Amino acid sequence: MKRIGVFVCWCGTNIGGVVDVPQVAKAASSFPGVVLATDYKYMCSEPGQELIVQAIREHRLTRVVVAACTPRLHENTFRKTLERAGLNPYLLEIANIREQCAWAHQKQPGRATEKAISLVRRAVAKASRLEPLFASTIPVTRKALVIGGGIAGMQAALDIADAGHQVILVEREPTIGGKMAMLDKTFPTLDCSACICTPKMVAVAQHPSITLYTYAEVEKVEGYVGNFEVTIRQKARSVDHTKCTGCGTCWEKCPTRVPSEFEQGLGTRKAIYVSFPQAVPNKPVIDRRHCRYFAAGKCRVCEKVCPTGAIDYQQGDQLIKEKVGAIVMATGYDLFEWEKVYGEYGYGRYPNVITSLQFERLINASGPTGGKILRPSDGKEPQSVVFVKCVGSRDPAKGKEYCSRICCMYTAKHAHQVLEKLPGARVYVFYMDVRTAGKAYEEFYLRTLQDGAHYIRGRVSKIYPEGDRLIVRGVDTLLGRQVEVGADLVVLATAVVPSRGAAELARLVGISCDQNDFYTEAHPKLRPVEANTAGIFLAGACQGPKDIPDTVAQASAAAAKVCALFSREEMAAEPTVAQVNQFLCYGCLECQKVCPYRAIEPVTVSENAAGKKIERTVASVNSGLCQGCGACTVACKPGAINLKGFSNEQVLAEVDALCL
Amino acid sequence: MRETARQLLREREVGLVIGYAAGSEAYWVTPAFIKEEAQADRLVWNPFCVNSLAKYLINYHHEPYKVAVVVKGCDSRALVRLLQDNQVQREKVVVIGIPCLGVVDAKAAALKIAPGTRILGASVTDGEFLLQTESGTLSLPRGEALCAKCRYCENPTPVLADTLLAEEVAAEPAANIYAEVREVESWPREKRSAFWDGHFQRCLRCYACRNICPACTCRECVFDQTDPCWVAKAHNLSENTAFHLIRAMHVAGRCVDCGECERACPVNIPLRLLNQKVIKDIKELFGVSTPGSRLDEMPALGMFATEDPDEFN
Ligand SMILES: Cc1cc2nc3c(=O)[nH]c(=O)nc-3n(C[C@H](O)[C@H](O)[C@H](O)COP(=O)(O)OP(=O)(O)OC[C@H]3O[C@@H](n4cnc5c(N)ncnc54)[C@H](O)[C@@H]3O)c2cc1C
Ligand code: SF4
Ligand code: SF4
Ligand code: SF4
Ligand code: SF4
Ligand code: SF4
Repeated sequence: MKRIGVFVCWCGTNIGGVVDVPQVAKAASSFPGVVLATDYKYMCSEPGQELIVQAIREHRLTRVVVAACTPRLHENTFRKTLERAGLNPYLLEIANIREQCAWAHQKQPGRATEKAISLVRRAVAKASRLEPLFASTIPVTRKALVIGGGIAGMQAALDIADAGHQVILVEREPTIGGKMAMLDKTFPTLDCSACICTPKMVAVAQHPSITLYTYAEVEKVEGYVGNFEVTIRQKARSVDHTKCTGCGTCWEKCPTRVPSEFEQGLGTRKAIYVSFPQAVPNKPVIDRRHCRYFAAGKCRVCEKVCPTGAIDYQQGDQLIKEKVGAIVMATGYDLFEWEKVYGEYGYGRYPNVITSLQFERLINASGPTGGKILRPSDGKEPQSVVFVKCVGSRDPAKGKEYCSRICCMYTAKHAHQVLEKLPGARVYVFYMDVRTAGKAYEEFYLRTLQDGAHYIRGRVSKIYPEGDRLIVRGVDTLLGRQVEVGADLVVLATAVVPSRGAAELARLVGISCDQNDFYTEAHPKLRPVEANTAGIFLAGACQGPKDIPDTVAQASAAAAKVCALFSREEMAAEPTVAQVNQFLCYGCLECQKVCPYRAIEPVTVSENAAGKKIERTVASVNSGLCQGCGACTVACKPGAINLKGFSNEQVLAEVDALCL
Repeated sequence: MRETARQLLREREVGLVIGYAAGSEAYWVTPAFIKEEAQADRLVWNPFCVNSLAKYLINYHHEPYKVAVVVKGCDSRALVRLLQDNQVQREKVVVIGIPCLGVVDAKAAALKIAPGTRILGASVTDGEFLLQTESGTLSLPRGEALCAKCRYCENPTPVLADTLLAEEVAAEPAANIYAEVREVESWPREKRSAFWDGHFQRCLRCYACRNICPACTCRECVFDQTDPCWVAKAHNLSENTAFHLIRAMHVAGRCVDCGECERACPVNIPLRLLNQKVIKDIKELFGVSTPGSRLDEMPALGMFATEDPDEFN
């Protein structure tokens, strides 16, 4: 016979002010199996817990019911209390009579008391069927995978590697650095982006604990926290990097010119190329789509000129398998494709309407114009520059509902840069709001205003050409009138969106995205750098629009979480996982399809049936992957799956206690 | 059909052919399990071949040989159910498909003739149903004689077959397929409740409906389990209702609308009406086709996708 103790908490007046707590305890004392029912002001306090410990010892209790607040708050507290008294911590059941009773029914104390008694009856029924559970341990591979080599990925990789762990960094472009490598100066300090970014890139390449795969993508992720197995596809570079010295002869002589991604289409590169002079690694790849040899079968110039014989047209993709214990997602962002929807801005047909990132390249000393602001159409210096903010942001009709966070600040930066470089030029900024929440951000914006930038509050309704200029028509909502501004150059602050392919990658890795395809954090406030799958962490703009300081902070936070996971050789696994009764299982595998964590795999069992040995398929749960969500248990028609701690028997007993 | 069976057996393509053989009466066929070429002559095909043979396949799941099975359009959906539930392996089945003009509800047909008159045979054409009896041939409009499920058949031609024994038959547009369901939906709650109580009350809990169902292939059905006791064994309205609702939910999104449960029921409980209500609702909610019509479309309720709507957020 189970000996159950019931402990009803007043929670000061939180519960006691509505529910008649002593009466609940009195009613509980008559429930089957209950040998002790008592109440106390604050059960979670030190004396409250001591009361439970003493009672367990004195009354030789074998199951404990605490009627108090939500289990989310103190289930762990009271589990530890049981442990201190020598009981298995999973022999505890909580009845939530605060959030689900006292707080919800403050106006009807009498009925609230009745409900509290029912909730305790339910908890007692379940408690009498609880079984001890034991946490298992799973080994941890102390090696991390970082996906994406922007500032977020680089920072996370360096932090984890500096803590003494191995890191694999996978970047799909030929170089690491991400967007930060493309920027000119960074707000609010205006220090040169390359000056702070390239040293990081070099540090990553040189770190003895970091293995860098550029021009590579993650193809498959299997396993679970502490024990992932990833397959990485190293795309064919067509250049043997062990032989290549990066001398540059090949891309000097290559006859094919194509628009450069790094220059955002404002400059060109060759078919064999490094993205930019400081690229890491500083060795070329052949872009097979554009290479003449791959397209037409003729050329082979690079092969002829390469002094080390590094060109290898036959090179194929390579698949690399790595075992890792944790994964950091750092895939960053792209800019919203405004050309597809903003017809009123010309659908990208006017060469002098450019994006903010193109502007960064225009103003960059190492960019296509050597840092001179020249308008793309004819290379003239613009006398009037118009910036349009929130293009695609805060625009649910055509773009995204959210605010992209960084545009206010970089537009202030750009406006300042124009005024500094082109004395006498006029600068107009169309804006909806100016949001400058950040250290020294508002000061930075005010300085731009003092520099002479004209801020006009309102949306731009049309941009159209007139002669060799553009007319920007909008409304000034503060003055309540139409405005038209002549512009030589228009810069659109386009929305930040997740990098291309982010949603597919999420599916492949096994994490979820929000409606905009930004990766979802496990808890928006309390677990902002963890994904909802154990062992996977988030860093940088892939989780939501962010500037560099926030990106770096989140990357370091993710690294700290990885290091905490790696601090032990083994980790404890929650015992509340699903378990398949293979006798009942008929192998339909519906459970496998509904499991959000891919924790279920088919296995073959053999058994004797009428003297014959037969083999059949049954489901099997990987307790490392299972998060105890319970989806499979409801999908299973014969009831072959039980979630430990929430078994079918236990849940049915609860239902009976409440309904019969 | 006989020739196909003979050939399959002769060439050791299969170890068994499951088809129809004549029953003790002309309006009655019985499943035939043919293992030898010589026996293939027993096979028949006529408008009384109402019952589905697909579920017999699971009995041969572990045999080393392949099994051939004769399926009509609706039966082919049942086969898809078994395949999707991993109860049958596709490589181990040879599907002999019969494009079908509809099978006959023998009970309904019997009402049209004088009691005691022996039925000798029958045939169905596009428009009419001919019944040969001792006292001559009777012609009935096709609609009147067909089984309910055949009136709005979505797949007269099997959705899956290795050989088809006749020309494909195109489906007629079935706009009214859920007319009966809509009718019941329009009733006030009390009337619906009384309607189902009346039927559930009569249920014998013989489980014939479950045993015949191609979607019910569990090793130990929840209704047979004692610990936990999902539904008590007592025979009363409350437990009967629990049984019916659990059964309906276990086949929700999976029931292929083969109508076998209703046919097997000894007390004529309108199980198909309940199933169709669920099929209709799931179709409307998830935009799927009738379960079993497509091998690559898995049951709507048996999937997880991150894009699934989450109304609780
Ligand atoms: C015009 C402009 C100006 C800006 N100016 C400033 C400024 O002055 N100050 C400031 O603080 N911030 C500024 N920012 C913001 C800054 O760019 C971001 O905060 C920062 O780049 C975010 O870094 P990240 O590493 O998260 O993303 P990214 O820089 O986008 O890096 C992501 C990396 O992941 C790679 N990747 C993507 N998908 C995959 C995949 N599937 N597999 C492998 N690799 C993948 C990408 O190739 C890329 O290298 C500016 C942004 C813009 C658009
Ligand atoms: S010429 Fe050869 S060694 Fe030089 S960069 Fe090109 S591939 Fe490398
Ligand atoms: S749902 Fe149930 S019966 Fe089907 S495979 Fe999973 S455990 Fe087995
Ligand atoms: S409880 Fe959830 S996570 Fe665990 S196996 Fe079942 S469906 Fe998967
Ligand atoms: S519930 Fe009835 S109609 Fe549906 S598949 Fe089963 S036997 Fe056929
Ligand atoms: S076949 Fe009819 S009587 Fe038998 S259990 Fe099913 S519904 Fe009830």
